[in-house]
Amino acid sequence: MPNTKYLVVGSSHAALEAVQAIRMHDSEGSLTLLTRDSHLPYSPTVLPYVVSGRSAPNAVALRDDAYFTQHKVDFVRGKAVKSLHADRNAVELDDGSEIAYERLLLATGASPAIPPIEGIGSVSYHVLRTLDDATKLNAAMKQAKQAVVMGAGLVGMHAAENLVKAGVPVTIVEMAKQLTDGYFDATAAGLIEKAFTDNGAKILTGSRVVKLAPSSLGATLTLDSGATLEADLLLVATGVRANIGFLNGSGALVAHDRGILVDETMQTSAANVWAAGDVAQAKGFFSEDKVMNAILPDAAEQGRIAGQAMVGDPGLRRYPGGIPLNTYHFFGRHAISVGSSKVPEGGEVFTRFDEASGRYLKAIFLDGRLRGIYGVNEFFDGGVMCQLILRGTDLTPVKERFLAEPMKVGRELMSKLWR
Amino acid sequence: MSTATLEKPAAAKPKVILAEGNEAAALGVALARPDMVAVYPITPQSSLVEHVAKLIADGKMDADIVDAEGEHSVLSVLQGAALAGGRTYTATCGPGLAFMFEPYFRTSGMRLPMVMTIVTRDGITPQSVWGGHQDAMTVREVGWIQIYCESVQEVLDTTIMAFKIAEHHDVMLPVNVCLDGNYLSYGASRVELPPQAEVDAFMGDKDVNWHVALDPSRPMAVDPLTGGSGGKGPSTFVRYRKGQCKGMQNALAVIEEVHEEWAQRFGRRFAPLVEEYRLDDADYAIMTLGSMSGAAKDAVDAARDAGRKVGLIKLKTFSPFPVVALQKALAKVKALGVVDRSVGFRWNCGPMYQETMGALYRLGRFIPSMSFIGGLAGADITEAHFQRVIAETEALLTNPAPTEPVWLNEKD
Amino acid sequence: MSAYATIAFDAAKCDGCGKCMSACSIQKVGADDTARSRIQIGGSADAGFELALCRQCGDPRCVAVCPAGALSKDGASGVIGWDATKCVDCLLCTVGCAYAGIALDAEAGHVAKCDMCAGAPACVPACPTGALRHVTTARIYNEVGHWEDLFAPGLAGCQGCNTELLMRHTLRRAGPDTVLATPPGCVPGMGSVGFNGTTGTKVPVFHPLLTNTAAMLAGIKRQYERKGREVLAMAIAGDGGASDVGFQSLSGAAERNERIFFMVVDNEGYMNTGMQRSSCTPYGAWTSTTPVGVGKGPAGMPSQGKTQDAKNLPLIMVNHRCEYVATASTAYMEDLYDKLDKAIAASKRGFAYLHVYSPCTTGWRFPTDQNMEVARKAVETNFVTLWEYTPQEGLSFTRRIDQPLPVTEYLKAMGRFRHLSNDQISHIQSKVVENLAFVKQLAQVAKV
Repeated sequence: MPNTKYLVVGSSHAALEAVQAIRMHDSEGSLTLLTRDSHLPYSPTVLPYVVSGRSAPNAVALRDDAYFTQHKVDFVRGKAVKSLHADRNAVELDDGSEIAYERLLLATGASPAIPPIEGIGSVSYHVLRTLDDATKLNAAMKQAKQAVVMGAGLVGMHAAENLVKAGVPVTIVEMAKQLTDGYFDATAAGLIEKAFTDNGAKILTGSRVVKLAPSSLGATLTLDSGATLEADLLLVATGVRANIGFLNGSGALVAHDRGILVDETMQTSAANVWAAGDVAQAKGFFSEDKVMNAILPDAAEQGRIAGQAMVGDPGLRRYPGGIPLNTYHFFGRHAISVGSSKVPEGGEVFTRFDEASGRYLKAIFLDGRLRGIYGVNEFFDGGVMCQLILRGTDLTPVKERFLAEPMKVGRELMSKLWR
Repeated sequence: MSTATLEKPAAAKPKVILAEGNEAAALGVALARPDMVAVYPITPQSSLVEHVAKLIADGKMDADIVDAEGEHSVLSVLQGAALAGGRTYTATCGPGLAFMFEPYFRTSGMRLPMVMTIVTRDGITPQSVWGGHQDAMTVREVGWIQIYCESVQEVLDTTIMAFKIAEHHDVMLPVNVCLDGNYLSYGASRVELPPQAEVDAFMGDKDVNWHVALDPSRPMAVDPLTGGSGGKGPSTFVRYRKGQCKGMQNALAVIEEVHEEWAQRFGRRFAPLVEEYRLDDADYAIMTLGSMSGAAKDAVDAARDAGRKVGLIKLKTFSPFPVVALQKALAKVKALGVVDRSVGFRWNCGPMYQETMGALYRLGRFIPSMSFIGGLAGADITEAHFQRVIAETEALLTNPAPTEPVWLNEKD
Repeated sequence: MSAYATIAFDAAKCDGCGKCMSACSIQKVGADDTARSRIQIGGSADAGFELALCRQCGDPRCVAVCPAGALSKDGASGVIGWDATKCVDCLLCTVGCAYAGIALDAEAGHVAKCDMCAGAPACVPACPTGALRHVTTARIYNEVGHWEDLFAPGLAGCQGCNTELLMRHTLRRAGPDTVLATPPGCVPGMGSVGFNGTTGTKVPVFHPLLTNTAAMLAGIKRQYERKGREVLAMAIAGDGGASDVGFQSLSGAAERNERIFFMVVDNEGYMNTGMQRSSCTPYGAWTSTTPVGVGKGPAGMPSQGKTQDAKNLPLIMVNHRCEYVATASTAYMEDLYDKLDKAIAASKRGFAYLHVYSPCTTGWRFPTDQNMEVARKAVETNFVTLWEYTPQEGLSFTRRIDQPLPVTEYLKAMGRFRHLSNDQISHIQSKVVENLAFVKQLAQVAKV
């Protein structure tokens, strides 16, 4: 059985950061990077741009073969882990072979969650999680006459915008009462919705698809209102689910909930096994509850911590907890959200909205400390805001100025606090 | 006055010249082919280094010459050169020797086999620029080999031999060739110059820093701190010191060997440690050091002619003190008068006298003895002075020995 | 691994004029539009000015969070480059960066960041106050980082001492074909020659006497020249031995133009033996032999530290017309390195002398983390001046301080001057002016 000192499963941000962290500290120990994907590493976040054609599929790689050669990484593509045998430090692959490890990182990410809608198996639909999904969707988009996007999260919204720009009539169907629920509030969502409707998209919020059936065009969707929609291009973008199927053999050893439960160094309940990225369920920043925070910056952070922990890097700093961070670029406008969207008990909310310019700012405070900040067309430094939240900086003395000019005052604080 | 016994003629006919002692020393240095000479002028050494400088300037000597800014640096430059593998030479005296004391002490500790002529000069103050052994005697406890010459020829020959003694692997110590200021330094006499090729053959290969070197091709830390009261320090320090003393004792045999080889090659034999002159049937002896020995021998000859049973013991090697050879000579006599050209302040006698007392003690037999001090600061010790020495020594056979030294030039 | 040049910002010197931003925007977008500058100065005169600028991080978060591979750190220049063809305008990089170093250029519609203008940042020369500096010291590491450190690990200097740094840099530069003299003082005190059979140095090394360093080196050098071998004979000596008891041999070797490299590490006293006064100790300084007390000191003056001014040893060496004489400071490593190069080269032709001002944490009484700051203050107040001299070019400043800080900024940084009266401070300040004028005169003479 081949064995490797470090086995990293997955090839996106968490996995790549872990590899980097391991190699910072141990330049020689055998390291295998294993992915079920057949491509060089890429980010799921870039896929909407592959769909739109802005990014060429062959130009999105985050690492090339030279990197792996230089860093002595055995990069194995096209092989998935079928079972984890944490009791004997080995993984079993889908081809039946096994690899023994000394330390394992599970960064297997997530897959689209397909809602259990009647008839969904009878129609063809797209998802968007892999590069192959993206190239397929890009091809389909060029022929599409009528598109429906199920789910108004960022993946669905990006794809919908692409379809709009490609001249395909598109309808977005979202269960929640607003678009981008969980990312932005109703006001921001209203701005986003307006941008979409101004560009010809149809938005159906508060609507659920209850039935799917094949039709001459492609598929007929029946909504909970009874109305129907026709589509020759259907994208299901209703969320993701952590890839933890391979735990079946080690389910008892590796504690899991919606994802694999990890501690502050990304270690799982099993010896020699760590998890990071979209597959991991780690503590949130605002509470000790373990949450799924399937966003790119958090995946990178978790991957790095896991790599440092695996390699015994004394520079390891414990995971402070996930802070939601999102940026969203739509029809030439920008929306940024940093931190919690929930207003805690005793919290304060500040909003500023200029309808004429479409500039919107919302900030949430607790005890004078920033908890979350959102902006549409209101540019501030997301990284600076994130630090203010992480550090629990008391903004009481500068709050008025901060709200008036968050970028300027944020930078001032940066200069004083962590220059 | 003859100190060398001609045994056989040298293979090639030697060149004969008239030279002063300082020039003879310079010629001896040139024949020994040092790599580096460092100089600082001082009376009565100056003409010696002037001769060396001229030999180099005239292309008759292949050496680097450093006109240092003082004797302290003279010796320091040479230490550097020796540590880099060079054969080194200088000359000094009196105040110059005093000024170089700091590196002087260190040269023997680092076992650097350099040769330095001391054109002996009395110590100041009283202010004086003339000869006397006070300078060399004052530093007799610093670990240098000290050899005194009687004649100009001996100066030349001994200067060459001194390099061979110093560089002997059983010795590895610096050598002072002491030649009496004024009397030898400026006294001209017939000198045979040995041929360069034969001197080269005599000297053999140069290997002066095999034991300690500052050489990037074999890096080492030279003279790291040692001693103290803990760890390896005390033992390390003791072993260094003991090694110096061992080298000093080894030198006794090496000095004899080298003199023997010199005699074989060049036909001139000098007593290497102790010369016994008309001693075998003597009742008593007088003891001398350096150039005074000529006049002393003349006085002994005259006394013998008068039927008095006097002999002479001349020390050539003062340091290491040749205890065994001296005892062999002392065993032959019943009374001893020792003539010093310097004083030992602590014992109110001459330093050689004091040292000889140590050798006498080990002899296990009491010999009455007395100390004579003469020739200080350039004063002559004439045959007449030695007649007095002989008479007063002879008196020891019957009278009690005086406790005070006799100051020979006090009433000159 | 490489080290990189960087843009350093000294907020205390910034007056918020914005010229850096104009220069940047002109350079980058062809218009004086400070909003589009990639260097952003914020704040105010009251609150202090601050900087938002890419740090070109070693472990850049912006790169880690870029989904498109559009950002990458260039291994050669250290610059984090942005690839317009790959960027998808997602702005995640702005969330990753904690320093506001990459931000949206709203007019361009994409992010923009500092690219160091291909090694010649336009902002730096535009800064009129010196608040921005292009620090290229990293070149030293890149050039010599792979050279062998010719001192062993574990030299035992005092905490916060910069001499170990100086020694290691110097010998690394000198290379293995060196014979090193470390006369009694702090350098052998750290273990350069060693104790009882261990040594701290990988090249031939020795203790000369305190008095004969230059002479011994001269002998070594000349013997190797005689053998036709190129060996650098160099000293790392203290100021006490060089300026006091060892001055004769130093002067003699310089006068003979011996081909050696003599470095003096000037910590202004006999620090290794307990901080006694040397002739390089400055006026007013407390030392263990110029103590502060109520009794009368020399000339009937109260005992308030040293009552004489320091001997200016490097200027004395200039008067030997050495092949090379320079002063340096560990606070200015590039300058030091330039001078090391020149001194080593000059030592092949004649006597090379380098005088390095080296604050002594222990003896000068300042916190152990302040060594570089004290060294810098000495220069910034003109308490010491950095210059170099060759017989051909004369004397010239290598770092001219035209707007010096008051000397009190230097004096108050350490405890050895704590007791100074106003009169004493006035004396020191006037000496600073006088010394500077003197060196300037020499520099002027050189230009005639």
